[in-house]
Amino acid sequence: MRLAARLLALVALMAAQAALAQPESKILRVTFQAAETGFDPARVHDYYSGMIIEAIYDTLLTYDYLARPAKLVPNAAAALPEVSADGRTYTFRIRKGISFADDPAFKGRKRELTAQDFAYSIRRFYDPKNRSPYAFLFTGKIIGLDELAARAKAGAKFDYDAPVAGLQTPDPYTLVVRLKQPDVNFDYVLAFPLTAGVAREVIEAYGEESPSHPVGSGAFLLKRYVRSSKIVLARNPSYRGKTWDFDPGDNARFKQIAERMHGKRLPAIDGVEISIMEETQSRWLAFQRAETDIEYQLWEVAPTYMTDDGRLKPEFVRRGIQLDRTVDPEVIYLFFNMQDKVGDAPNPVGGFGRERIALRRAIAMSYNVDDQIRIIRKGQAVRAQYPIPPGVTGNDPRYTSVIPYDPRAANALLDRYGYKKGPDGYRRQPNGEALVIRYTSTPTERDRQFDELTKRSLDSIGIHMEIQKERFPEYLKAQKQCRVMMGHQAWIADYPDGDNFMQLLYGANIHESNNACYDSPEFNKRYERSRQLHPGPERDRLYHEMTRLMETETAWLLTDSRVRNSLQQPWVVGFTKHPVLHAEWLYLDLEPKPAY
Amino acid sequence: MLAYTLRRLWQFVPTLAGVILLVFFLFNWIGGDPAYLLAGKISNPETIANIRRQLGVDEPYAVQLWIFLKQVLSGNFGASWSTNERVSEIFATRLGPSLTVLVPLLMISTLLGMAAAMLVAYLRGSLTDRAVMVACTVGQSISILVYILVFQYVFAYQLGWFPVQGWGVTFADNLLRYSALAIIVGIAVSLAPDIRLYRTFFLDEINQDYVRTARAKGMSEARVMWVHVLRNAAIPIVTNVLLQLPGLLAGAFLIERFFGIPGIGREVILAVERSDFPIIKAVTIYVAVATMVFNLLADLLYKAIDPRVVLK
Repeated sequence: MRLAARLLALVALMAAQAALAQPESKILRVTFQAAETGFDPARVHDYYSGMIIEAIYDTLLTYDYLARPAKLVPNAAAALPEVSADGRTYTFRIRKGISFADDPAFKGRKRELTAQDFAYSIRRFYDPKNRSPYAFLFTGKIIGLDELAARAKAGAKFDYDAPVAGLQTPDPYTLVVRLKQPDVNFDYVLAFPLTAGVAREVIEAYGEESPSHPVGSGAFLLKRYVRSSKIVLARNPSYRGKTWDFDPGDNARFKQIAERMHGKRLPAIDGVEISIMEETQSRWLAFQRAETDIEYQLWEVAPTYMTDDGRLKPEFVRRGIQLDRTVDPEVIYLFFNMQDKVGDAPNPVGGFGRERIALRRAIAMSYNVDDQIRIIRKGQAVRAQYPIPPGVTGNDPRYTSVIPYDPRAANALLDRYGYKKGPDGYRRQPNGEALVIRYTSTPTERDRQFDELTKRSLDSIGIHMEIQKERFPEYLKAQKQCRVMMGHQAWIADYPDGDNFMQLLYGANIHESNNACYDSPEFNKRYERSRQLHPGPERDRLYHEMTRLMETETAWLLTDSRVRNSLQQPWVVGFTKHPVLHAEWLYLDLEPKPAY
Repeated sequence: MLAYTLRRLWQFVPTLAGVILLVFFLFNWIGGDPAYLLAGKISNPETIANIRRQLGVDEPYAVQLWIFLKQVLSGNFGASWSTNERVSEIFATRLGPSLTVLVPLLMISTLLGMAAAMLVAYLRGSLTDRAVMVACTVGQSISILVYILVFQYVFAYQLGWFPVQGWGVTFADNLLRYSALAIIVGIAVSLAPDIRLYRTFFLDEINQDYVRTARAKGMSEARVMWVHVLRNAAIPIVTNVLLQLPGLLAGAFLIERFFGIPGIGREVILAVERSDFPIIKAVTIYVAVATMVFNLLADLLYKAIDPRVVLK
C-alpha cells in the first residue's frame, strides 16, 4: 500500500515537471450549438461551417475588427479594389507570397494563392453540381457566367476553363471582374467568407469529400475532425501573420482591448477546439466548469447570469467572467401576404385597398412586441424600428415606427372600416364573409410561444386566427410560393449594407426572398434608384421613404433584433463579437489559466 | 429448425416491402421538400428545380420508389443530402461511439437488473420487495430528460467527477472518461423497468413445480435460485434484451446529444432536422431489418436454451 502511494506520488511529480517544462498551448475552446455541414465554401449551408471556413481560408477583403459600422479592409488583396468610373469593373491586386497550407494534393510543392484561385472559387458558385446555397451572391451579376451555368443546367459539364468576359486574370496577381450592372455592394460580397480562394487541385483531388478536406491559406488549418462532434484547428505554419493594430476609436471597451492586444503578432493562439453541443444545459454547465472559454449565445439561461439591466450578476463578475453584449445585425418581423390570393383562395389580408390596409394595421397594432421580447426572448432583444438593424450601413437610429401597440385604437380602426363582430364574437369581413386569418409556423417549442402570443393579440381585436403548422422546409416552400398568409421571419445580414435588408421588400424578389410577396410600384421605384447609389444621405432618404411606405401599407410589423451575450472566461483577451465576421479567433489571445 | 428459419426469412420479404412503402410515402407526404432547405436564403424557382433534379425528387413516384428499392437491395443509400458524406461512412464512423456507450450500458443494466430482480422476487411480499417496487415505479415515471439534467448537474458540474460532455481520441478515454456518466444515466433509466419486468419472470419460475420439488429434495436455496430459477428466467430476459438492441442503437439520441457523443442516434435527429432522406431511409430500414433478425435470433435462442420449445 505504502509502495503504491509512493509510486503514485512519483508519477504525479513527473507529470507536474513535464507540465512545467512545456509552455501551455494556447488552445481556445468554444462550442457550436448546431452541427456543421462541411467546409467546402461553395457548398456550405450553415453559419457554423462559415466560421471554420473563415478561419481556414483567405478572402480578398475582410473587416476591420473594431470599426463600427463594419468597415472593409484588404485581406488577400493588397488594397481595396479599383472600381471603374461606370461602377462595373472591379480590379483586385492580390498580395504576393501568400501560401496555402501544405497538402498532399500539392504533391510536395509550396502552393501560392493567386488570382486564378479566386476566379475558380467564383466559378464554383455557378456550377449547378455544387448546389451552392449562396449562389445568389453572384447570380445575374458577372458577364458571361450565367450563360456558362445555363449550358451546364442544360446537361453539359460546367466548363471551368471556358474564357469568360466578366472574370479575367491577366496575371497571377490581378483579378478583373466585370459586372452586368453597377453593384455598390459587390466588394462586400468578396469579404463574405464563402468567397474565399480555394485551390482547384485540392477540390479535384478530394472530389465529393472536399467538404471534409479544407485546405486554405488562412490563419488555421484543420487538424482533427469528427463530424457533428469535434473540430480541432491548429495554427497554420504557412500563414503570413498579421499584426494587431486596430483603432479602438472612442469605445471604452475597445480601448481596453487595444491596450492589451496592440502590436501582438496574429494569430496569438495555437489553435481552436470546437465542440458541437446542441443542448443549452450542457453548454452552460461546461462553461461554468471552465471546460470552454467562450460561449457565444446562452439566451435561454440569460436570467441565470444577467441582471435585468443587462449586466453580469456579481457572482460572475467576482469570478472574472467577461460579458460582450451586441445586437445581432438582424431583423425579425411579422409579415402579411400582400397578394390578393393565397393559392386559389381569396386572401383577406392581401391587397392595397383601404380596408385591407386597415386590417393589417389593426393586427400589427394589436401585437405586443414588448411581450415578445420579455417572454419569448427573455429580455435578450431590442425593439426593431427600422428594416435595417443597428451596425448595418443605412440604419437610422432616430427612426420611430408609425405602428404603435394600441389594441384599443386597433379595434376602433376595424370598426371604422366595417369589420363588424358577429354573434360568435369574432369579426367578419366588410362584405359579411367570415374572416379567418391563417398564421403559419413550424412545430417547434419556440414557435409555439409565437403562436400563443399572436393568437392572444388577434383575440384582443376579435379576429379569428387559425394556426397552420408546417415543417421548416415546407414553410420555406410555402413562403416562396406566396402561400403563407401571415408568419414570422428573421433575416440576418449577409453583408453589412442596408440593401441586404431592403431587397426583402422588392417586388422582383417575390418567390426568392420577398416572403410578404410585396409588390408596391412606389417602393420598387425607390429601391431601383437606391441600387444605383453609394451609401450616403441620398440613399438614406430613399430608404426612409421606402420604410414609411412599407409601414403605411403595413406589409411587415418589425418586432426585434436579438442581443448576443457572449461570455468569456477571465483568461480570454481581445474578444468582441464583430457584427459581420463569423469567427474572431484570429484577433484574440489567451492568458495563462489560474491553477484551481 | 432449418425449415422454420427459412420460413421466417421468407416472411421478411412482405414485412420489408411494407416498411419500404410506409417510409417512402411518409417522406413524400409529410417529410417536406428538401430542395427549399438546401437552396439557401435566397433562391429562385430555377435553383429549386435544379436541386430537385439532382436529388431525384422531381422523378415520378414510381421511379423514386424503384430507386429506393434498389438502394435497399444493394445496401447503398448514396450520400447525405446536406453534407455529401456517404451514408455507409456515416454508419461506419458513428457506430463505434454508439456501441461504446450502449454495450456496457446494456450489459451492466441487464446484470444489475437481474440480480436485483432475483433478490426481490426471492423476498416477495417483504418490506424490501415493496420498497424496491415503489422505488421502481417512481423511477420509471421520471422522464429520461430529468435523469440527464440532474445527473449532469450533480455529477459533472457540482462534484466534477466527469466532464459535462465531450468525445476524445482514444477508446479508453472515450469509454472511461466521456461515456461514463452517459452509461450511468442509461443504467439509472433502464434499471427500474428492467427490475419490474425481470421480477415477474423470476416469480413465474419460483412458483413452478420443479422449484418446489428441488426444495423438497433438500437442495439449498442458493442452488435453487442460481442454478434452476436463474437459468429458466434467463430465457425471456435474453429475448427481451435482444429485442431492445435494434431500437437502442438509433434511439439513444437524447443521451448522445446531451453528452456530445457522435453516435448514430444523434445523426438520426440531425437527419430529421435537415430532411436528409438518404440517412432517414437507411436508419429506418436498418431498424426494421435488425428487429426482424433479432426476433428470429431470439426465437432460435429460445429453442437452444430450452429444448422443450417447439418452433412452428
